[in-house]
Amino acid sequence: MVRTLNPLSKVAVCAVWLVAAILIFDARFQIGAILIVCIVLVALERTSPLLLLGLMVPFSLFGLGFLTTALLFREDSAFALHVAGESVFGSPAASAGVTLFLRAVACGMISAFFALTTDPGAFVRGLMAHARLPPRFGYALFAALQLVPDLAAEAQQMRLARAMQSGRVLRRLPGPVEAGSLVIPLLAFAIRRAGRTAIAMEARGLDAHGPRTIMAVPPFEWRDAGFAAVAMIVLGGLIVLCANM
Amino acid sequence: MTSDPLSPEGPPAAQWRAVSVRYPFAGAAAVGPVDLAIRRGTRVLLLGASGSGKSTLLLTLTGLLPHSIPAKVEGRIAIDGVPIETRPPSGWAADVAQYFQDADRTLCGMRVEDEIAFALENQAVPVARIRNAVAQAMEEVGLPEAWRQRRTATLSGGERQLVALAATLVQNAGLFVADEPTAHLAPVAATRLHRLLTEGRPDRTMLVVDHRLDGLIDAMDRLVVLGPDGTIVADGEPRAIFREKRSLLAALGIWCPAAGDLDEGLARVGLCAPVAPLSVADALAHLNPETAPPEDLARARPIVAAFVAKASAEAPAAAADAPVIAALVGADCAPFLGPVVLRGVSLSVRQGEVVGILGANGAGKSTLAACLAGLLPLKSGVREGAKGGVAFQNPESQFVGGTVRDELSGALPRRMDNDERERRVAATLDQWGLAGLALRHPFELSQGQKRRLALAMLTITDRWPLLVLDEPMAGLDAAGAAALSARIDDLRSDGRAVAVVTHDMDFALRVCPRSVVVAEGRIIADGPTPDLLADADLCARANLSEPSSAAARRWLQATKSW
Repeated sequence: MVRTLNPLSKVAVCAVWLVAAILIFDARFQIGAILIVCIVLVALERTSPLLLLGLMVPFSLFGLGFLTTALLFREDSAFALHVAGESVFGSPAASAGVTLFLRAVACGMISAFFALTTDPGAFVRGLMAHARLPPRFGYALFAALQLVPDLAAEAQQMRLARAMQSGRVLRRLPGPVEAGSLVIPLLAFAIRRAGRTAIAMEARGLDAHGPRTIMAVPPFEWRDAGFAAVAMIVLGGLIVLCANM
Repeated sequence: MTSDPLSPEGPPAAQWRAVSVRYPFAGAAAVGPVDLAIRRGTRVLLLGASGSGKSTLLLTLTGLLPHSIPAKVEGRIAIDGVPIETRPPSGWAADVAQYFQDADRTLCGMRVEDEIAFALENQAVPVARIRNAVAQAMEEVGLPEAWRQRRTATLSGGERQLVALAATLVQNAGLFVADEPTAHLAPVAATRLHRLLTEGRPDRTMLVVDHRLDGLIDAMDRLVVLGPDGTIVADGEPRAIFREKRSLLAALGIWCPAAGDLDEGLARVGLCAPVAPLSVADALAHLNPETAPPEDLARARPIVAAFVAKASAEAPAAAADAPVIAALVGADCAPFLGPVVLRGVSLSVRQGEVVGILGANGAGKSTLAACLAGLLPLKSGVREGAKGGVAFQNPESQFVGGTVRDELSGALPRRMDNDERERRVAATLDQWGLAGLALRHPFELSQGQKRRLALAMLTITDRWPLLVLDEPMAGLDAAGAAALSARIDDLRSDGRAVAVVTHDMDFALRVCPRSVVVAEGRIIADGPTPDLLADADLCARANLSEPSSAAARRWLQATKSW
């Protein structure tokens, strides 16, 4: 359902929610945002909760950095402590750290909502058609978005080759040493891949100037307006609810 | 050598004048100086050994080299009489469709239908026409409708090649340039591609580089051969060149049609075809069993029989009591972190055995090969035996060293005497024709050289009792293929087992006494390769084609009474 919406209406709504998540320093708001996005993804988009948990790992690690910083360097976060002190959490330092942690996860969840429900190609076409994004930038962005799954596939191929060379059994997930050893080869792959994609696009006529056709431009429909309205009402309701608790 | 003077009907479709290319930090020119003019509507096949500069020459045509790939290009290049510098490379897309050797250089990583539409979008073709053109291109190339929304990165190597072909054919440009278009294609797909290339617009100019000549060569008007120094060493009508300069081509390690050997043999008994043949059927056309003089048929029979015998595996099948090196029993095979693609596979490979793994693009051959080597865990079933080494379809995945020498040295055991290490590396470099490239970075090599390096890395060490070669022939020239055949024979003699995934039926017939055919999510046949490839129903079911010697085999059966 959410997948069929115009990517630009989704990105606008997500941007507003992200700004709210950054500006509202209240753990209750962050928890509410996380739960709402989770419910929408699991209930409406049939997204696996395990996948969501997995996607939140890097954001959680990032958030843990805030939490530990807040606990270890309390003197440096007087303002945060002051604000957090007004919330339900007991220790001001822990409260501020937890809020920062939840904010990182909330931002991650909102980003995941956009990424999991949006076709990168449709997003780029939407930007080129409706936001006048130059095709060269648009397709560069598109290539960058597509690089992520390709990097994963290449990493798997490299792991297979290395497992063969070393005689070790291939594990589902690489250990820290193996992951570290893949960084440089994958970076080299990304550079090579970017060069090849640029050549492919140029050879097939991608030009900075002149008219072009854009196929399958995602249209704006009434349901986009409906989605934006509902998202804003829910956001407003959440802010009011947190303010009155 | 200067080729093809300017025609009176107008400027050539493509022209190189004294063009030479030198890559940064390279000691010598990669190609050139080359003088070549191609008339409109001609179909030109460009041949040359690996690393002779064929791909480099094609990249200069629209200025991608040096515009997008750094190199020093001297001389003048023109398309339809217009110097290429007058437009950026993208400005030639309406006139020139380019199909690169590496599908990743043709495709941009989009979904299949977006990839095919991309070139037409860039030309501002109306939406309705693009939709029709995409549908038509998919139908022509044989892409299933279900692929429309699939990302090209999720397709197999051969499937990506088909999409790349559709994406370039849809441009309907007057000049079509294709660099090894059939390297990873299954036989039926390669045949369809040859038909598409040659049956399209009669006014279309074509410039093709390919090692798989059978089925393509008879549609070509002209043959241009690049020597090892990147200059033109032969240029003219294909039949004449293949007959008159056969020894030169063989010395340069360049592919010739399989019919050439038969023609040469028949010439020795005074029975060569009146016109130089490009196919085995051509070579025997004048020896029709129903109309030719019986004494001619009797003289020709030993020659044809010898040709058929040479085309089939010389090595004996492994002894039935030879120890099993690796076996799969009731195995369900899946790619890494992917769904099951083959079910209930039972397959064993014995010591000293060479087994072919045949099937259409996307049938699951590579997955089966990796499971057989013990590289991929089975979803169910059992694998028995020692682990095997795999030469992957994409050789770049295996490279980690800074030079060719480092790659080979790194493949040897760590605890090896330095002198012995150096000796083994030097011998392997010689064996695989890589001696002059020892200090080059592996990614700077041509596709054929990369393939040879990957195979050399695998065979330099004795550590694997089973070797799995995934599409080892892709990108190899005749010399590379001969070295590969010889090496496989050595490995078999040493008691090692070899499994070969290949789309090249001639190669399978020549090196694999036994093969398995993969289709319909399982192994549908397992037996002697000549028997499998003589089974027309089986070949049709698995999208395989007959080897080029099949016509000679049929001729022998028809002349049995003589």
